[in-house]
Amino acid sequence: MEALWVVLPTGQRASGDWIDDTLRLRAEEAGLLSRTPLAGQFPRQRVEVVRAADPAAEVSALFEARGWTDGLPIVPPTLDRVEAMCATAARAASEVLGEVEPLRGEATVEKIAANAVMAGCRPDHFPVVLAAVEAVLDPAFNMRGVQTTDENVAPLVIVSGPLAARLGINAGFGALGPGWRANAAIGRALRLVMLNLGGGWPGAVSLAGLGQPGRYTLCLAERDDSPWTPLRVELGYRPEQSTVTVLRAETVVNVTGGLAEVASVMASAASAFTMLYEGRVAVVVAPFVARRLAAEGLSKDDVRRRLHAEARVPASAWQSWWLRATARQWPGWVTEAAGTLPVVKEPGDITVVVAGADLAIPQLAYCPSWGFPPCRVTREIAAPVI
Amino acid sequence: MLRASAAAEEAGVPSVSLTCEGFVGQAATTATGLGLPGLPVAIVPGHVDVQTVDELRANVLGVTVEGVIQGLTTPAEKASDVEEPDPGEVVFEGTFDEINRFFYENGWSDGLPIVPPTSARVEAFLRQAGRDADEELGVLLPDRRSATVRTVAINGVMAGCRPEYMPVLVALVEAMADPRYGVEHSGNTPGAETLIVVNGPIVRRLGFNYQQGALRDGFQANTSIGRFWRLYLRNVAGFLPHRTDKGTFGNTWRVVLAENEDALGRMGWTTIAQDQGLAAGESAVTISRFTGGTVLASVFGTRAEEMIPYLADGIARLVAWEVIFTVGMSVGAQRPLLVLSPILAQTLARAGLSKQDVQQRLFAHARIPARKFERYIGEWTNLAPGRPTLGDLVKRGRAAAIFAESDDPERLVPVVEKASDIMIAVSGDPLRTNAYVFAHNGILGFPTTKPVRLPAR
Repeated sequence: MEALWVVLPTGQRASGDWIDDTLRLRAEEAGLLSRTPLAGQFPRQRVEVVRAADPAAEVSALFEARGWTDGLPIVPPTLDRVEAMCATAARAASEVLGEVEPLRGEATVEKIAANAVMAGCRPDHFPVVLAAVEAVLDPAFNMRGVQTTDENVAPLVIVSGPLAARLGINAGFGALGPGWRANAAIGRALRLVMLNLGGGWPGAVSLAGLGQPGRYTLCLAERDDSPWTPLRVELGYRPEQSTVTVLRAETVVNVTGGLAEVASVMASAASAFTMLYEGRVAVVVAPFVARRLAAEGLSKDDVRRRLHAEARVPASAWQSWWLRATARQWPGWVTEAAGTLPVVKEPGDITVVVAGADLAIPQLAYCPSWGFPPCRVTREIAAPVI
Repeated sequence: MLRASAAAEEAGVPSVSLTCEGFVGQAATTATGLGLPGLPVAIVPGHVDVQTVDELRANVLGVTVEGVIQGLTTPAEKASDVEEPDPGEVVFEGTFDEINRFFYENGWSDGLPIVPPTSARVEAFLRQAGRDADEELGVLLPDRRSATVRTVAINGVMAGCRPEYMPVLVALVEAMADPRYGVEHSGNTPGAETLIVVNGPIVRRLGFNYQQGALRDGFQANTSIGRFWRLYLRNVAGFLPHRTDKGTFGNTWRVVLAENEDALGRMGWTTIAQDQGLAAGESAVTISRFTGGTVLASVFGTRAEEMIPYLADGIARLVAWEVIFTVGMSVGAQRPLLVLSPILAQTLARAGLSKQDVQQRLFAHARIPARKFERYIGEWTNLAPGRPTLGDLVKRGRAAAIFAESDDPERLVPVVEKASDIMIAVSGDPLRTNAYVFAHNGILGFPTTKPVRLPAR
């Protein structure tokens, strides 16, 4: 029988408790043990030796039954693979980046690496995963809220900078679609960290009613050939630095047209939670559209100002929204406005990213936000140690 | 700090512990061991020792105060027991190499190969214990784990001990669990290490080396029992570097020191165990934590007057910041150990000195200027906050009168409170005129002695 030595990817608290004990109870209460029949049943140690005729398949099946996957098969987080992953980070494997809410498993470099291996990351992707985890651990991201809400929010990961091309993080054709390992695996690693270290199990801890495909992965890079200032430079970094920016995205709405069409989608009930919580939204702009706008003399700031000005909800429509009737407190800038209301408080609350295929199609996307406080968290990516 | 908070919380008083940034992980694990995993902690960024008053003020107002408010207004979390394998359970089957890798990867070994603790080996050890396998010898912090005879056997096997060492290992864990010793401090930042001293008939029966190279590896009893001590701290008490063990440097285990009782008997000197209150001829272990040690080489002279000043200088030289265990923090808890080679001890004994006479003379000579003493605790360190003089400490009842016999800052004061605080052992090369001195860690590892109870034959 072959043996695999795997690092257990699940969350242990600073106190030594394993989050699985809580998850098992919650899953039992919620009648969800058919999904994770082996929840909480594993040796309480760092490394487990799995012996089977096909140990990789056995690890995948075991982990699925213990609730440690997103439903797809995983790459077994063997000691060798986890060590290779950790080796690309200039920090100790035992370093604790923080606790992942709500069950507060410790995000050690090694635990994050185990989840990154499982997600299919290459070792050189790991610094991006670490930066993304650091970003979602910032209190402004409100991990507890994101993990437990009945809304369908997911972290939107935007990579900006020279590392994107070097690591093969797609900013072009299908940047939010399948086909590129980096986009698929980095976003998935972040989700596995949220599941396995934070305990965001659907139905047991996460009450998101429908979920969204972005909960598997939602990661893209910004094109570096756009006519505008790159995101990282807007946020105060130097062009040669690379960054990860994380937003809370309720969904991705495709919009064909131009700014007017995006504004019309923004000024809809899709933005209700954005308005309720003074949210920060993202607008993804295809290169063709960006060039056309730039040719008209519009900077990114101009685009934001125009969207802020044009994406207006008539007060009469807003008054009729379901959320308006049920939510108790709205921010002053919404409730005090008369006539029409902007969707976001300030133009700066709109993150503009150029991505997608360089085709002559007028394509954009709108990502409304969920939750509080206002969130756009950025961390620099350390160059992988190779 | 957390132990004080735990006491307050148990008395129904909300608490919050101010914790420097580097200690947050240790605080969480310690709190769990105390049965209050949610014990509130307010972080002070960096370490206070290297911050100016302004920096500290900014850090406290900017970060710490918020934590204090949160800590005092949020209810503490209840304890839950972490599920662990039964100590009698087979957790792994594999080759020697696989078992060693498995134990190492899971943090159960010290980095050297272990002897796999198979059921058969553990049973062989238990047969030599003379105690019930499930007898609880105490409960050890920080993990609050029950210390049983069975886990003593398991770690003894792993360390490379022999089954007949079991009574010694059991006595050691009884000493470890004795509140006077203070095992919960074993992860403190100076990273002091325990020295085990053995006395009585077991020294010869178990083959301890007590002659030349007494603290050298190469002798199974001395070396493997020293290793057992650290494995037990790791696997049962729960002291793990990067988590609960915050030793800044630390060091590895100390080889067990066996006294030369042949020489002591000839001289009519008491043993360490006797000094600790045990009867002559009784086998015993004495544990004590020492911050460091050094050799006093080539002690020269034929008379006590010639030898004592050098030996006393060694003691005074080595006890520096540790004088905070003489006055202030824990009055009279500084217990340095002087190990004399038999030829040195015999030379002193021939001059008619008992061990107690030697202690008196060392006490009279092991002195430093009061100004230097005060610097150790109040100027070069902040171990006695507010830079009190020795006079202040005597007035507050935190130092013996001998420390303030005048106001002269150049007056000489002792480094221990009284003569009997200087422990003296006799061991090492019988015919070489060297001594060894250890500085002590005070109440954070106070000398604790337990008799070794041999099983009935």
